Amino acid sequence: MICLRNVSKDLGDFKLQNINLDIEDNEYFVILGPTGTGKTVILEIIAGMYKPDEGEVWLNNRNVTAEYPEARNIGFVYQDYMLFPHLNVQDNILFALKLKKTPKAVMKQKLEEITTLLHIERLLKRYPATLSGGEQQRVAIARALVTEPAVLLLDEPLSALDPRTKEIFQYELKNVHEQIKTTAIHITHDFNEALVLADRVGVMFDGKIEQVGTPGEVFQKPQSEFVAEFMGMENIFCGELGEAGCARYVNVGPVRICVASKLEGGRVRIAFRAEDIIIAQDELFSSAQNNLPARIMEIIPRGPFFKVHLDAGIPLVALVTKQAIEKMALVPGKHVWAIFKTSAVHVF
Amino acid sequence: MWGDVMRNRLFQAVLAIFMLVLFAFVFSALANIVWQGMAGLAQSIASEEIRFAIRLSLFTSVTSTLICIIFAIPVAYGLERLNFPGRGLFSVLMDIPLSLPPLVCGVALLLLFGTTAFGQALAEHGLRFIFSVNGIIVAQFFIITPYMIRVLKSTIADINPRLEFVARTLGCTQWQAFCRVTLPLAKNGIIAGLVISWARAIGEFGCTLMLAGATRMVTETLPVALFLNMSIGNMEMVTASATCLIIISLVSLSIFEIVGRRNNAASRII
Repeated sequence: MICLRNVSKDLGDFKLQNINLDIEDNEYFVILGPTGTGKTVILEIIAGMYKPDEGEVWLNNRNVTAEYPEARNIGFVYQDYMLFPHLNVQDNILFALKLKKTPKAVMKQKLEEITTLLHIERLLKRYPATLSGGEQQRVAIARALVTEPAVLLLDEPLSALDPRTKEIFQYELKNVHEQIKTTAIHITHDFNEALVLADRVGVMFDGKIEQVGTPGEVFQKPQSEFVAEFMGMENIFCGELGEAGCARYVNVGPVRICVASKLEGGRVRIAFRAEDIIIAQDELFSSAQNNLPARIMEIIPRGPFFKVHLDAGIPLVALVTKQAIEKMALVPGKHVWAIFKTSAVHVF
Repeated sequence: MWGDVMRNRLFQAVLAIFMLVLFAFVFSALANIVWQGMAGLAQSIASEEIRFAIRLSLFTSVTSTLICIIFAIPVAYGLERLNFPGRGLFSVLMDIPLSLPPLVCGVALLLLFGTTAFGQALAEHGLRFIFSVNGIIVAQFFIITPYMIRVLKSTIADINPRLEFVARTLGCTQWQAFCRVTLPLAKNGIIAGLVISWARAIGEFGCTLMLAGATRMVTETLPVALFLNMSIGNMEMVTASATCLIIISLVSLSIFEIVGRRNNAASRII
C-alpha cells in the first residue's frame, strides 16, 4: 500500500500541491493529466529521487520519506526507458541481481521467467541502441520487475510507441500486471490507456489531484470543470439549480435545462457530452426532457463524425454522422432542435 | 542563373584560398623543423641531455596527468551533479588558469610555495616545489587540470542523471551508481581528457620555468631543453627537442581524434 500525505514539492517548473493519495496493494492506479502538470514528479517523490518539501510518503506501513531510493524496493520505468547503454539486455535485466550477488542458478531462473513473460528471450545479447522502442520498453519493464519490487512505477510507458505497438503493449501490460500482482502506478495523458489498464484513476491538473475514482466514475461523473473538459465533455455551463414541482432544473442564462440531481439548490455546474445531443428537424415529443430550439452556427469534421456548433441561447456542441448531415441537409444558419435526456446531464 | 553559379564558385574559391594559405603556413613551419631535426635526431637522442629531457618529460607529464585525473573526476562530477551554493563561482575559479598566461600561473605558484607559511610548512616536511622536479609536476598539474575538468564536465553533462537514478532504484548506493553507470559511460571522455591533458603537460613551459626553473640536467624537460639550447645557439639540439615534441603532439592528437570521434562531448571542447 502506498500513501501520500499532504505532499508538496516546488521544483520551479513543476509544483505539487498538497497531494493525498492512497493506493491499495496490487492495484493498478493510473495518474491521468495533461503534460507539464507534475505527474512525473509524484513518481520521483515516491521513488526517492526528490524529497518532498512537505508531507510524507508511506510504503507498506513504513514512512519512507527520508529513505534513499535504494532502500525503497521500487521498480521505475521511464518513458525513454533509461536502459544502461553500455550493458546488453541480459546485463541490464540482471543489474540488480548481480549487485545483490544473487546465486547464478537463481539469476538464470529469474531471467528465464521474466524474459518469457515479456517475450524478449531472443534479445538477451543485444545492446539497447539496436532495439526498437517497444523492445526497449519490454526490457525496461523486465529490469524493473526482476527485483520483485513492492511498487512498479511507470512514467508514460506507452507514449513513445507507435499506435499499433501501443495497443498491443497496453493489453500485455495488463496481462503482466495480472500475473505479477504488484502495485503499479502508471502515468499517462491518454484516457484510453486508463480505461484499459486502471483499477482506479487519479486526474491531475496544475500540481493537484482533482479527482480519484474508477475510470467509469471519472468519465461519467467528473467533479470539476477541468476533469469534465479533460474527459471530453464539450458542453459545460454554470447555472442556478432550482425546483418546480417534482422537476429539477438549472437555469443557464436564458435557458432552462432539466436535470436529475440530489444536490442542494444554488450555484452548480452542469456538463454533458456532444454525442448525447440529438439534432431534430422538429420538436420531438419523447421521453427526453430537454428540447431546445437552436440555430446551426458551424459544422466542423472530427474524425468519422462532424461537430455541429449550435446557438440555443447558450452555445452547444453536438456530434453527428456524415449521413445525418446529408439526410437532414444540415447547413449553418438552419433552425433545428437540440434534444437530450435529463440523465445525460451531470451536475456537480 | 549563370551569375549565381559564378558567385558560388567565387565564394568556394575564396574559401579554398584561405584554407590553402593557412595550411601552407602551418605545414611549412612544422615540416621545416622536422626536416632539420630529423637529420640530427638520432645523434641528439643519443646525447645524454636529450635522453634526460625525454625521461624527465615522460615521468613528470605522466605523474601530473595521473594526479590530475584523480582530482578532475570527482570535481567535474560534483560541479555537474551536486547542487550547492556558489557552484557557478567555483566553476569560474577552476577555469581561471585556462585563460591566464602560464607565466602568471608560475609566479602565483612560486609566491604560494616560496613566501607563505603554507609553502614553508610543506618544505619542512620534505615537499619542495621550487626549482625541483616536484615543481614541474605541480606546474603541469595546475595548468592541465582545468582542461581535464572541462572535458569531463561536458562528458558527464551528456549522461542522463536519470540513468543513475534508475540504478539507485535497482539497489545501488550513490557510489555504486557512479562506478557502475556513470564511469563506464564516461570512459571515452576520460580517455580523451587524459590524452589532451598529457599532451599539454609534456609541452608545458611557462609555468614550469617560473616555479621549477630551467636548470640543465635537473629540471630540464623537453621544452626547457629547447629553450636552453636556443639560448646558446645549439640548433641541432633545438630542432631535435622540437621534433620530439611535434611527434608526441601528433601521436596524442591522433589518439584524441579517434577517441573524440566516439565522444562528441569531449571533441566539442577542444
